[in-house]
Amino acid sequence: MKRKDFLRYSAMGMAGLAMFPANVFSKESIRANQTLFPERLPYTKAGEWKEFEVSIAIAIQELAPAMKIHTLAFNGQVPGPEIRVKAGDKVRVIFKNESELNHTIHWHGIYVPWRMDGVPYVTQMPVMPGKEFVYEFIAEPYGTHFYHCHWGTLLHMQSGMFGSVIIEEDEDPVMKQFPYEREYTLIYSAHDVNFIREELNGMLERMKERSYLMKNGRFDPERFNLFDTKEELLAAIDNGYQPPYLFNRRSSAQLPVPNWFTVNGKSYPSTPNLYIKSGENIRVRLINAGTENHHLHLHGHDFWMVCDDGVPLPQPWQRNTVSLSPGKTYDIIIEGKNRGIWTFHDHDTRRVTNNGLYPGGNLLALIYEDLPVEERMVSSIGKMKMQEGRSMNLLPKVALDE
Amino acid sequence: MKRYLTLFIATFSSLLSISQVLPEIELGVKGVVSANIGINSAGVSSAVSDFSDSQILLGFRQKLYNKWRGQMVFGMQFPDADSDLGQIFYNHVFIQIEDQKNIIKIGRSSTRTILNEFPTLRDDDALYFNYSLNPFSIGSNTQDNQYGNVIEYTRIFAQRYWLSFHGENFSNLSKPENFELNSFGFAFLYIVPESQRWNREVLQRLGFSYNNYVSDDAGYEGFDRYLKNILGTVTLNLLPDPVHLIDFKFQGIYNIGLAGVDSVKSYSDYVRTPSMATFATLRYLYRKLERPLLQLSVGVGFKSFDLLPDSKQGILISNVFYRIGENFDIGFQYRYTQNSAELADIFPASAHRFQFSFVYSVNQIFNKHFDDRNSILNLEHKYIN
Repeated sequence: MKRKDFLRYSAMGMAGLAMFPANVFSKESIRANQTLFPERLPYTKAGEWKEFEVSIAIAIQELAPAMKIHTLAFNGQVPGPEIRVKAGDKVRVIFKNESELNHTIHWHGIYVPWRMDGVPYVTQMPVMPGKEFVYEFIAEPYGTHFYHCHWGTLLHMQSGMFGSVIIEEDEDPVMKQFPYEREYTLIYSAHDVNFIREELNGMLERMKERSYLMKNGRFDPERFNLFDTKEELLAAIDNGYQPPYLFNRRSSAQLPVPNWFTVNGKSYPSTPNLYIKSGENIRVRLINAGTENHHLHLHGHDFWMVCDDGVPLPQPWQRNTVSLSPGKTYDIIIEGKNRGIWTFHDHDTRRVTNNGLYPGGNLLALIYEDLPVEERMVSSIGKMKMQEGRSMNLLPKVALDE
Repeated sequence: MKRYLTLFIATFSSLLSISQVLPEIELGVKGVVSANIGINSAGVSSAVSDFSDSQILLGFRQKLYNKWRGQMVFGMQFPDADSDLGQIFYNHVFIQIEDQKNIIKIGRSSTRTILNEFPTLRDDDALYFNYSLNPFSIGSNTQDNQYGNVIEYTRIFAQRYWLSFHGENFSNLSKPENFELNSFGFAFLYIVPESQRWNREVLQRLGFSYNNYVSDDAGYEGFDRYLKNILGTVTLNLLPDPVHLIDFKFQGIYNIGLAGVDSVKSYSDYVRTPSMATFATLRYLYRKLERPLLQLSVGVGFKSFDLLPDSKQGILISNVFYRIGENFDIGFQYRYTQNSAELADIFPASAHRFQFSFVYSVNQIFNKHFDDRNSILNLEHKYIN
C-alpha cells in the first residue's frame, strides 16, 4: 500500500470510529455509549425536599451524523435529564422557561396533586417566557415513568420535551426476581422534522406578538383564542369570531407524518447500544414519548416483560416482541444467554428508516462484551474484491444504504 | 458536439431510473382585477375589468450537494392592454443559487430600479415617482422599468445588511437583438427580516443604490455615456404595534441625467434630463386575530427637473383595502396626478383615476423540507444548512 493510501484509509477509519465505533468492544466505545442514555439530574436537599432544577430552551440536536434540527431541550438535552428518586421522596422541580414559548410539565404516570399535573388551563396556567413554576409532589408509584410538556403537546413532545422519571424502591421487586447490575433507559420518539420546523417558526412568531400584547395588559379572548367558558366561545362565534381550526382561518389540515425515529434523541447510526455479558441480566426501561406504535423485537433472544406502566407484573411474560404504544412504558429483562451482536429494532420497519431510507431510525444492537475475537469476523465474503487496503472482515459495519 | 453530449448525459441518466429528490415547489398567484374610471383633460374613460399586474409564479428549489441551495423560478404576468408586450409577459425566468450569506441570480427578474415596496394597488401605480426609469424604453409599458435580464450577486452581512452588485440588460426596442449588459450598479440595504417584525423596531429598512445605464446615444464618450441614478429609501414603523400598525416609507431618486438634455419634448428626454423624484406613503394597518383586516394608506410624490424649474410633476394616491377572507381583499384606490404645462407633450395636465378592485394573492410552498434564511429559528437560534 502506498503511504498516501495508508494515510487516507487511516483517516477514514478514524472517521468511522467517531460515528459508529469500528471496535464496539473497546473500553472507549463502551464508555462513549454510556453518554447516549439520559443523564441523571442531580438534586439539592432543601429540608425534606429533593430539589431539582429544570429549564427549557431551543437547541440544535443532531439526530444522525450531518442531520441537525432545532429542538426544545430540557437542560440542553434531548431527552431531558432523568429524574431518579425513591418512592415516598418529596420532590420539588423548579422549572424555568428560558424559551419564547409557553410550556408546562406533565408528570406522566405519577400520582401528583392535581394542580401539579401540568395541563395548561385545566390544572395550571402555562409557564410563560422567562417565568418559573415550581412542581411539588410525593414520588409515587414505583416504576418507570416520564415527564413531558403538555402545551402544544403534538409539537413540543416531538420537538424533544420529554425525559424519564424513575421511582425506585429499596427492595426492588424486579431485582429480587432477576438480579441485575446494569440497566438502560430507552425513550422512543417519532418526528416529522418539517412539521417541527414550520410549527416552531409559526409559534415563535405568534408569541413575539402575543408576549408584547400580554405585557401591556391587552389580552383579547378572540385574538388569543382563549375563552373562560364554552358559552363565551359560542357567544363569540355568534358575534363573528371564527375558530382557527376552520379552513378559512389558520388550519392547514396537515397532520404530521413522522420521517425520523429516535431512541434517546438519536437515529441509527447514532443510536445507543445495549451491552451485556454472558450470564448477565440487564434491565431495559422502554418509554414511548412519541406518537407512533413501536413493535420492538429482539433477535436471538426472548426477554422478560416485568413491568407495565411501571407496575410490576405478578407473572413476567416471556416474549421476543413488545408493542410499545404512545404514552406506554415497559420494563424488560434480557438474559445474556446467546452471545453475539443482536439487532433490537422496531418490527414496523417503516420506523427503522431515516427520511425514508433503510436502515435508520430506532435500530440498535445488543452487544455481548465477551464475544470472542474470532467470532467478530465475517466467516467468508466469497470472491468479492473490496477496495484495496480496506478490510471488510470486521463486524459490525456502518451501513447506510442496504 | 457539446450539445449532443449534454443530451446524451440527460438520456443516460433517465435510462438508469435514478430516483430524484422531489424539490420544494412554490406557487405564487396574484390576481388583481379592478374596474377603473379615469378623468382627465381629454374626457372620461373607463375600463370594465383591468386585470393587469395579475401574475403567476412557479418556483422549484432544492438543496445542492454542499451548503448551497438552487432555485428555478418561472413567472408570467398580464401586462397593460396597450403595452406592446402581447397578452402575456414572462417577468421571471431565472435561476438562483444561494447559501446563508450569498445569493447569485441570473435570468429575467425584477431589477434594482426600486428599493422599497409601497402600498399601492398595483406595483406600477406611481412608476414615474418610485422607479428609476429605463432610458432605453419608449415608455409604452411599465415592465421595461421593472424587469430585465439580470445577473446579480448579493452578500448578506449580520443577517440584515444586503450588499448587491448587479448588471442588467434592459429592454431596448431600438436594439431588440442586443442582449449585452446596458446597466450596472450596486445597492446596500439594511432590512429587518419579516419574521422579526414584531420585535417592534422603528427602523425597518434603510438603504441606497447607484444605477448606471450605459447610454448608446450618439455624442457621448467615457463617463458621460453613463446615465447615473442614485436611490435612497427608508421605512419607519411609526407605531410598531401588532394590532394598530402605522408605517412610513420614503424613497428618493436623483437622476443625474445626461449632459445637454435640457428640454422635455419626448419620453426619451424625460428620462434623460436631470431630475429628483420623491415618493412617500403613510399606512395604517389594523390586524385582527393576527391577520390583516383593514389597511388605509396615502401616498404623495413629487418630481422636479434641475434644468427646467417650471416643469414639475405631482401625485396623490390613496387606497383602502378590507380583507374578506384569507388572502382575499376588496379595495378602492384614488389617484390624482398633476403635470406642469412644460410636460404637456408627454403627460396630461391632470388626471383623476378611481379604481374598485378585488385582490387575491396566494403563496404556498409544497413539499417544504428546509428552512428559510430569514426564519426565526435560523435567525435567532443558529442557522442550519
